[in-house]
Amino acid sequence: MKRKIGFKTLGCRLNQFETDALASRFTRMGYEVVDNSKDTDVFVVNTCTVTNQSDQKSRYVVNHALTHGHIGMLIITGCMANHHKDQLEQRYPNAYVVDNQQKSAIPQLVEAHFKKEIVPSNQSQGGVFSYAPAAETFHTRSMVKIQDGCDNFCTFCIIPKVRGRAVSRPPQAILENIKQVLDYGYKEVVITGVNISRYNYEGLSFSALLRQILAIDRDFRLRISSIEPDSFDDDFFELMKHPKLMPHLHLCLQSASESILLKMRRMYTYKLYKTMVEKLRKLNPLFNITTDLIVGFPGETEDDFQASLKAVGDLQLGHVHTFKYSKREDTRAARMSDTMPEPLKTQRSELVRAAALKAKIAYRRQFIGIKQTVLIDTLNAVYAKGYSEYYIPVKIKQSVPKNTLLKVHIYGLETEGNDPCLLGEISA
Amino acid sequence: MQKEVPVANKIKTDLHEILQIRHLTDSTFVLRIERKGLTFQAGQHVCVGPPNGIHTREYSIYSAEQDDYLEILVKEVENGLVSPSLKKLKSGGFVVVEEPVGYFTINKALPKNQKYVFIASGTGISPFHSFVLSTPGLNYTLLHGVRHGDEAYDADAYEAGRYVLCTSRDDSGNYKGRVTQYLKKHPFGTDVHYYLCGNCNMIHDVYDILEEQGVSTDNIHAEVYF
Repeated sequence: MKRKIGFKTLGCRLNQFETDALASRFTRMGYEVVDNSKDTDVFVVNTCTVTNQSDQKSRYVVNHALTHGHIGMLIITGCMANHHKDQLEQRYPNAYVVDNQQKSAIPQLVEAHFKKEIVPSNQSQGGVFSYAPAAETFHTRSMVKIQDGCDNFCTFCIIPKVRGRAVSRPPQAILENIKQVLDYGYKEVVITGVNISRYNYEGLSFSALLRQILAIDRDFRLRISSIEPDSFDDDFFELMKHPKLMPHLHLCLQSASESILLKMRRMYTYKLYKTMVEKLRKLNPLFNITTDLIVGFPGETEDDFQASLKAVGDLQLGHVHTFKYSKREDTRAARMSDTMPEPLKTQRSELVRAAALKAKIAYRRQFIGIKQTVLIDTLNAVYAKGYSEYYIPVKIKQSVPKNTLLKVHIYGLETEGNDPCLLGEISA
Repeated sequence: MQKEVPVANKIKTDLHEILQIRHLTDSTFVLRIERKGLTFQAGQHVCVGPPNGIHTREYSIYSAEQDDYLEILVKEVENGLVSPSLKKLKSGGFVVVEEPVGYFTINKALPKNQKYVFIASGTGISPFHSFVLSTPGLNYTLLHGVRHGDEAYDADAYEAGRYVLCTSRDDSGNYKGRVTQYLKKHPFGTDVHYYLCGNCNMIHDVYDILEEQGVSTDNIHAEVYF
């Protein structure tokens, strides 16, 4: 009988990439892979620690599995495992707590566990890039990891401490990985990492890598996952015109107040950010810019907050992921005074969310009457759903198999919910 | 498809012996420690802390890339968790050092005769000391804002005429007033690369002045001290 392994992933796309790669490997090893802990022999929780809320969610997933009768092998991995390893090992003495550096060795760990040769995970051969290309994943688009770690040391961020120093994957391995996932049938590839704009492999920059990827002589769509706006060259903007590169960037802003950006030790100014957005919209007026905003950073005045709130509309942002600032020990911001009371953070966060929804609706309305190419990733009894080249969800009231790319005429926009979908019909 | 890749990329931490402590003022000193093969680019910083504590603080490297030791410039912070402990250490003792990181570095692709203006407040002069010592022949002007003239840390390390001491509380410097006032009165032009290091307020104000003077943000580089 097949062994069953469940995965639950929290946080960023890099975690999703790593889970997908592990899930695919377990499939090839003969395991049945599911996305929950029910009746599984192994349950893997790939955690996140970027905010206190992420820690809570990660713990919740582990506790939920245990209180719902999971008695199989339990593996806790990801950034929370790096950040709170001792605490987790104490609280869950029967769990294997596997840090990011050893995450890719989870298959060896599981095999060793079932062969009753329990090997401590830190003795297995791991590596931050030792993931084979994933054939069967939880996603329609294939994520390809190009980089890990971060040397930016933003004052609020714990990630450099848990993901470690920036390290770039050799370009040949990335190109091979992409060709292989295209062979598996993927039509869209997302390049991912902790801080991908800082990609540098023996002098090869991010733009140079991007150029090589786009030159792969195959028909596919390429997306860039979350990216920091601090090191783009002219070549990067030139490449944005390439038909394979999708017109969407999740360009992390964090604050539109110049003084808060300085306190965050971000490596750009709001003025520079605006210039980048203008350049992208000059290339394509509909270019989708989505972002992260932190509210309630220590010392954030009403004026600072209003600057961020105003930016949401001014930049016509397609989506804003709003975070309330959460103190992470061992960061510079944790030593800052002038912290903000939680109710005020909540109030500001709600105001940003409301402004962001308004901006999102205004942005998406522009697509009504336009033809889009949609990659279908969801199918149910009522509709098929997927994402357009601009990374906007589109619903079609027709049955279309997953992983199909099709031309869709957009005729409307849903009126309810926080993520209203465009409504479309298959175009002739 | 297994590749030869780094197994881990954790930040490396090591104990480094203190070679010398050189006091520049009552509260500011240069800590010289063994290098132990650490490589860095001028402008990068290291986290340093006492050997028996759990806390470290970020310090820009003060010494040159080619020196066979590392130096940091430390100002004692009243009731601080790290700097008062560092001040008490002696030669032969040890400090904890994390490997150098950071992007506040000179772009080596720029022409050799590129003009630079370095603007520092207080111990924010540290990376510029490293820039100047690491790259002989650098075409620079260094504006150093301090309160009193005795904070002109190692001023003789800089070529005559390239170092402008701006003192806000006495008139012992080359200019009586803040670096921001000096910059307003003496614009350096738009084809210059400006490097700013020091407290948030100084950097914020200098950005505004440079913008008014027509300098592109591509030519402004900042490292904030807290």
